[in-house]
Amino acid sequence: MVKRAAMAVAVLVSILLAAGCSGGGGSKNSASTTTFSADHPVNINYWVYFTDPELGVMKQVVAQFEKTHPGIHVTTRGGIDDTKILASITAGKSPDVAESSSSDYSGKYCSSGAWINLDPYLKQDNIPASTFPPAPRYYTQYKGNRCALPMLADAYGLYYNTAMFKKAGLTHPPRTMSELTQYAKRLTVRNSDGSLKVVGLDPVNGWYENAPAHWGPQFGAKWVDAQGNSIIAKSPGWKAFLKWQKNLVDWYGYNNLVKWQAAAGDEFSPSQAFERGKVAMNLDGEWRVSLIKKDGSKVQYATAPLPVADSMPQLYGAGYTSGSILGIPKTAKQKAAAWELVKYLATNTKAEALLSNGIANVPTTTASARSPLLHNDPRFAVFVRIFNNPNTATTPVSIIGAQNQNLFSTFNTAYQNGHASDLQGGLENVDKQINAALKQASAGGVP
Amino acid sequence: MSSVAGTASVPVPVERQRARRRAAWRRRGTVLAFMSPWIAGFLIFFGYPLVWSAYLSFTHYDLLNPPRWVGLANYRFLFHSDETFWPAVKNTLWFLAIAVPLQVLFAFGIAVMLQRARRGVGTFRTVFYLPALAPPVAATLAFVYLLNPATGPVNIFLSKLGIQGPLWFDSPSWAKPSLTLLAIWGVGNMMIIFLAAIVDVPQHLYEAAEIDGAGVWRRLFYVTLPSISPVLLFAVVIAVIDGLQYFTQAYVAATIAGGSAASTGTVATNLGYPENSTLFYPVLLYQQAFLNFNMGYASAIAMLLLFVSFAVVLAIVLNSKRFVHFQAGGR
Amino acid sequence: MSSAAIPVESEAIVRRKPPAAVRRKRFLVAVADHSLLIAGALIFIAPFIFIALTSLMTNQQALSSHLWPHPFQWSNYTEVFHKAPMWRYALNTMLYAGLGTLGLVVSSIPVAYALARLRWRGQNVAFVITLVAMMLPPQVTVIPVYVMWAKLGLVGSLWPLILPNWLGDAFSIFLLRQFFLTIPEEYLDAARVDGCGEFRILTTVVIRLSKPAIAAVALFSFLFCFNDFFGPLLYTIENPNHWTLSVGLAQFRTLYQVQWNLTMAATLIVMAPVIILFFLAQRAFVEGVTLTGVKG
Repeated sequence: MVKRAAMAVAVLVSILLAAGCSGGGGSKNSASTTTFSADHPVNINYWVYFTDPELGVMKQVVAQFEKTHPGIHVTTRGGIDDTKILASITAGKSPDVAESSSSDYSGKYCSSGAWINLDPYLKQDNIPASTFPPAPRYYTQYKGNRCALPMLADAYGLYYNTAMFKKAGLTHPPRTMSELTQYAKRLTVRNSDGSLKVVGLDPVNGWYENAPAHWGPQFGAKWVDAQGNSIIAKSPGWKAFLKWQKNLVDWYGYNNLVKWQAAAGDEFSPSQAFERGKVAMNLDGEWRVSLIKKDGSKVQYATAPLPVADSMPQLYGAGYTSGSILGIPKTAKQKAAAWELVKYLATNTKAEALLSNGIANVPTTTASARSPLLHNDPRFAVFVRIFNNPNTATTPVSIIGAQNQNLFSTFNTAYQNGHASDLQGGLENVDKQINAALKQASAGGVP
Repeated sequence: MSSVAGTASVPVPVERQRARRRAAWRRRGTVLAFMSPWIAGFLIFFGYPLVWSAYLSFTHYDLLNPPRWVGLANYRFLFHSDETFWPAVKNTLWFLAIAVPLQVLFAFGIAVMLQRARRGVGTFRTVFYLPALAPPVAATLAFVYLLNPATGPVNIFLSKLGIQGPLWFDSPSWAKPSLTLLAIWGVGNMMIIFLAAIVDVPQHLYEAAEIDGAGVWRRLFYVTLPSISPVLLFAVVIAVIDGLQYFTQAYVAATIAGGSAASTGTVATNLGYPENSTLFYPVLLYQQAFLNFNMGYASAIAMLLLFVSFAVVLAIVLNSKRFVHFQAGGR
Repeated sequence: MSSAAIPVESEAIVRRKPPAAVRRKRFLVAVADHSLLIAGALIFIAPFIFIALTSLMTNQQALSSHLWPHPFQWSNYTEVFHKAPMWRYALNTMLYAGLGTLGLVVSSIPVAYALARLRWRGQNVAFVITLVAMMLPPQVTVIPVYVMWAKLGLVGSLWPLILPNWLGDAFSIFLLRQFFLTIPEEYLDAARVDGCGEFRILTTVVIRLSKPAIAAVALFSFLFCFNDFFGPLLYTIENPNHWTLSVGLAQFRTLYQVQWNLTMAATLIVMAPVIILFFLAQRAFVEGVTLTGVKG
């Protein structure tokens, strides 16, 4: 009896161990070959963030790639996020090509060597840096180590309700912040009890796409100095932004706005406030153009770059951008074939245009921005122009990912609702925290 | 074991001695076989991770490269630089100091009421117990909806009474009280335990107290409470332990009430929304370990949690004699 | 056991036959007690009612301050299943809860028995370690355990959730041990005299006598797995195919961008299995919970 129990346990343990062992397979880097033949096709795995229906679009483009590269066969898997990519690299079971939905992770992938440096490949294939506008060029590297290429991006601009503009006698979109404020107040409608019915523009941090990162470029605000240290408190743009935001929030009354938001409808649902005409102007990304169509919203609208600080008219036309990135994990087994796919997805004008049309994001090469293949909607074209504007900015690439944005955002929220009143001191403290986090992450020697 | 050793000193035939030794080995084998899941489980999921956690807490580890030794840097950062650390500690302490006692109070109160009730005890018991069954994610979602500042029933009722309702989960000062309400709603388990203990209090104690002229309150304080104090202690220990690992409700409330600022192209999160008021200690740990992949630093956070929870549990158990009345042989 | 005690109390009242004035006072007190109980019960039941009402509203209504659905939109409940793969979530939850509970019971019983009824050196140490393991927050060890599963390539599956249960669970071991201690020695001795080995004694005598405790442990384990969020969040979040109901529900609102009406319908759908289980096995629930308290 005892023996049987012991055996049962032994079997159990061995099953567990076996399950473990089978998972621990190592990765072999096969010698890179640059030519692929249809007779001996190479299989590569490609992981993407997208799920259906976007995944379907991606698979179509990948099928195009396979047609032009008969020696390479691609298995595409959707619904992958960064946790999964990191875990797969740790386990040595990574895909050959990975797509991360956010350039916030570039610093992590590049600094750690988790994704390989693509410079040798770019040189080998004579792909110049000018293929991409400055912002995506920046957010795909860390301290010169280019471990990623951009593929599709988001650009942020202003959506405005033309019917409401007409009613209020407004003819053109606001170009400066004071104009924006003025318009916002004019377009706001209150209920008889004082609560908000239609909001001109809701500037509350955290609502829909409102974030310091998305507004900052309009004020010429800077995150870091050349060494990568946080200099938020030293950048006058941030103070200008926070003051503008606070003034407008106070005009509505913070509590009024929060209550209005609670019934405003969710951002990615057909009940979204702009689509239902509950808000007259809204900061949003390029994807809203296709969402409005998809949701069948009757809203009459146009798009424009976001207004800029009154003192910086030269910035008008620029905005914020960030995007998804492609890379080759260091544990990829077919690096040469992987590079072919990365190159195709990131630099092939036709591929970029098809992806942009299907997924409704901005194409990331300068050439594809002018591609006749792009759907011709002037409201979408505004975002392509914003993306290609030389003054368009992105968030700093660092080894702490988006922690800097989170830390700043926390203070922003506290400042806008009056829980923190010392602006200078608060921002200095944000810098201190970000710099401490940077130092912590690089303790023991940065790789 | 000792009995085997004791009898071995008496001269016995070699045959029997050998048989005994065989029996002893067989017993050891039995114990080993029975204990094997525990031994494996302990080694794989407790002993090894504890040691490894302690080691990682002195390193920088991002899951991609081997851990890099950084000495005490993580702990220095924890105490001196990380401004989310103290809020997280305070939030958790707030929960232990306010939500836990309120939970115990309500559970006890309901149990006493149920014990006094003459009719419909079964129905009442079910009604008060039912919320405890609601899965935490579901219960939290329900409360975020109920306490929605604009369309939630609670604020709608308050406004009908002419009261301007607070922003609940959207307000840094009301988010924790909202979670406390949720915690009180789910005291069913504790309530059942108390009820069973109260019902088990010997009737003659009450009668004796009544003869001595003790009223309702005095009987409650001098008979009921002392009699059930071991159960009370147990409930407090469980509630404190649960409080130390409070995560799910805080996570769900923050991400749902915080809305979807984190949409495309950013990994910014709403954990702790609003203004870190729901950033409980385990949430901080989760954020550092699994969103920032700062595993070495998160291990330092975990180590501190280990010491604190160990100390708390030890303190409660060691001090229990002071305020717990153990019936002779009662346990 | 609590229900049995109530008649005893009323007997005591009847026996002493108090005077009329006292009886009247007692009646009034009882009325006050019951009013308080009814008020409390209404507050406790109200959330369920509002969840149910909201779950039947239209999208438009869910964004308004109306509390009564008009019209009743029953199709919300089918809509939830169209929006999210709820059956898939349910299946994953059942796999986790079912396989996890099975393993937990099978592996915890022998350990609890060895801790309760066998005599061996180190027994007390093992018991104390079990107690400590039971009380420490799981977050303390989660990082190395996560790294371990990641290195095995099993993150993104249900295995990191299920497998640990097959190596015993501290709380269940503790609970079973306490129960096994109450089994009279004579039963075990009788079996030993019959020449039974310890394994035989465990499978025949002990398990037969401990059915309520084992049922309670299984029930708790099932509920724990069903409700668990931290584990599935950690290990399955990157693979929606392996999401459990808890994770699916937490993501439901933001992922599918639905209004409160559908969210509350989904919430009620997730609550329903546990509540139905409760009404089917009410006795096991109450006895199980009581067991944890009394034996503690």
